[in-house]
Amino acid sequence: MERCFAELAERTSSTDAELAERTPNTDANAFGVVIVGTGMIAGLHIAALRSSTRARLVGLVDTDPARAAAASLANGGVRATTDLAEALAWPGVDGAIVCTPNGSHGAIAMAVAAAGKHLMIEKPLATSTAEATAVVDAFRERGLVLATAHTHRVYDYSMAVKAALDSGQVGEPQVIRATLLGGWIWGDWNAWVLDPARSGGHQLHNGVHLLDLVTWWMGATPDSVYARGRRQTATELPIYDYLEMVLRFPGDRVAVCEMSRAHRPSTTGHRDVLVIGTEGTVALPWDAEPSLVFGEQGVTALPPVSGSAFTRQLDAWLDGTPVAGGAEGLAAVAMAEAAEQSMASGQPVELTS
Amino acid sequence: MINVLLAGFGGLGDQDHQTAMYLPAFTAHPAFRIAGVAATHPADEPRALAAAESAGVPYHADLATALSTVDAPVVSVAAPAQTRTDALLTAVRAGRHVLADKPFTPTRAEAEQVVAAAEGTGIVVAQHHRYHPMVTAGVAALRGGTVGLPWNVQVDFVVAGGHPCQDELLNFGGYPVDVVAALTNLPVLRVHATAAGPLTVLALGHEHGMTSTIVVGRTAPRAGVPEGRLAHHRYRVSGSHGVLVLDATKPAVTVSTASGLDRQWLPVDTLTGLLDDLHAVVTGAKPAGPTLDDALRTAAVLDAARRSLTEGVPVATDGGTA
Repeated sequence: MERCFAELAERTSSTDAELAERTPNTDANAFGVVIVGTGMIAGLHIAALRSSTRARLVGLVDTDPARAAAASLANGGVRATTDLAEALAWPGVDGAIVCTPNGSHGAIAMAVAAAGKHLMIEKPLATSTAEATAVVDAFRERGLVLATAHTHRVYDYSMAVKAALDSGQVGEPQVIRATLLGGWIWGDWNAWVLDPARSGGHQLHNGVHLLDLVTWWMGATPDSVYARGRRQTATELPIYDYLEMVLRFPGDRVAVCEMSRAHRPSTTGHRDVLVIGTEGTVALPWDAEPSLVFGEQGVTALPPVSGSAFTRQLDAWLDGTPVAGGAEGLAAVAMAEAAEQSMASGQPVELTS
Repeated sequence: MINVLLAGFGGLGDQDHQTAMYLPAFTAHPAFRIAGVAATHPADEPRALAAAESAGVPYHADLATALSTVDAPVVSVAAPAQTRTDALLTAVRAGRHVLADKPFTPTRAEAEQVVAAAEGTGIVVAQHHRYHPMVTAGVAALRGGTVGLPWNVQVDFVVAGGHPCQDELLNFGGYPVDVVAALTNLPVLRVHATAAGPLTVLALGHEHGMTSTIVVGRTAPRAGVPEGRLAHHRYRVSGSHGVLVLDATKPAVTVSTASGLDRQWLPVDTLTGLLDDLHAVVTGAKPAGPTLDDALRTAAVLDAARRSLTEGVPVATDGGTA
């Protein structure tokens, strides 16, 4: 595997306007990817691969043989296995996209590094800072590209906020509110996300999205985290389905992050961003919807057609300049870990560099 | 008609809510009549004289003299910070009902002192935002169980431009804290405050495990927002069975012309609602208790917030360990 990411990057453009013309890649020289874990999120990565002219899906791995077989069938009979080592040794595999439950990330990432493959791994990078640090070190030592799939960085809304801040129009951000509220999506008590050992808890599973975003928007890492969690859907929940994390940044700046799967009705989809800067404000209010549908299901928003965040994320990885790399993935894990400690103690937790 | 004595023309910094807010509101309200004006501090005198002239009523250089001269069962106290508590005490000890400008008093201890002295008289603290039609509708909806049991409230109360005050938390903090109290009637048990330049983020823990988070303060001017007015004033109440979203910056009626915008909120503005409530208290139609209890609780929240900002940890509103 000597294929250079930069070289691959030059092969073709990846602008949204061209996506419609993309066709599944059968070029044997394209960057070969194996998908590890075939759950819901894997489908979005596979869709991005299908539309890429620079990368191709070589095969699939899932520890459940039935799921592996079903995923293979759904993807044109691409090869599939339950054995990660076997898949990483397949000819033409240059990298892996890992979509397994969070608790397995660290070990799988280390196996990918040992096999000399590049990696894009679903967030969180790992479920502890120690594990995440080991992963970052392993990829750096081998000169491999490590991407953490903090996909929200490449959604239209987050890029618009970043562009507004980078333009300097609003000055220094003093308060950032980042809110993502949703209803229950996690199935029943058997859902792996509800098992702290497998998911690391909500702060690591979804909370890292917002922790990463506000850090990126602020252009700094926080000094401390004060977090409050709630088991709203059921008091017996082993994780918090509602999280609020208040981050204090150097220079008297604060971010308030809310992440919820606890809201009613279960169809709730409430995203709200407010950045109050020294010179101006960036607002992406929850009701800034230009198109509404008044239908039998009530009033729903009609989102504008947009580019695919997963495609942007894939292209950046192939370019060798991931949207969020190992360092960013590690930082998000450290913040989430601090949030967990804060929720346990009821006190703010200082973050060390 | 109920006679009113306007006492004090100052506040935090260069504020003069008496002239800017209460004088015109009492003048316009059909149940009240301004009967006199009193200064409480030499700094009051120029504004007090101007107000007396404007209203065509007698001016008094000190409150005690005014109280013994003017037949007014209601005193509107908007004294400068340094004389505010004394003016309130003087008015209530004279057996008068009081409309008290916010902040009620600089500290919780002084608030308790005034309340203790006010036996038999009504005090209405001018937390007028609780009378916003959106808030009163929200209170009714919440009491009716529209969203079930509230478990979280998120608030933005951010003023753009105007005259900065040295203590914007004391200046503005009471407003959103009071509205949350009106909406939920759940006292605050603990406070964690974080400074963000001229803004403060208050993370409050309430009875029944409810939490609230308030971003409050003043920013630099913003285009489209009149100087010193609210750029953001919204509340999101998450409940066991739904979400209530209130945005006070959205007018019910907007009249747009080449020279500007006229925005109206229906059915009444907040100051009219405040004076309606004062009238109900003075006439005995309702007790002053709820707002007064909330005023004491608000003072306790702001005291705890100041301690939290200094100590960097959550602080209990009863003075204990959070």
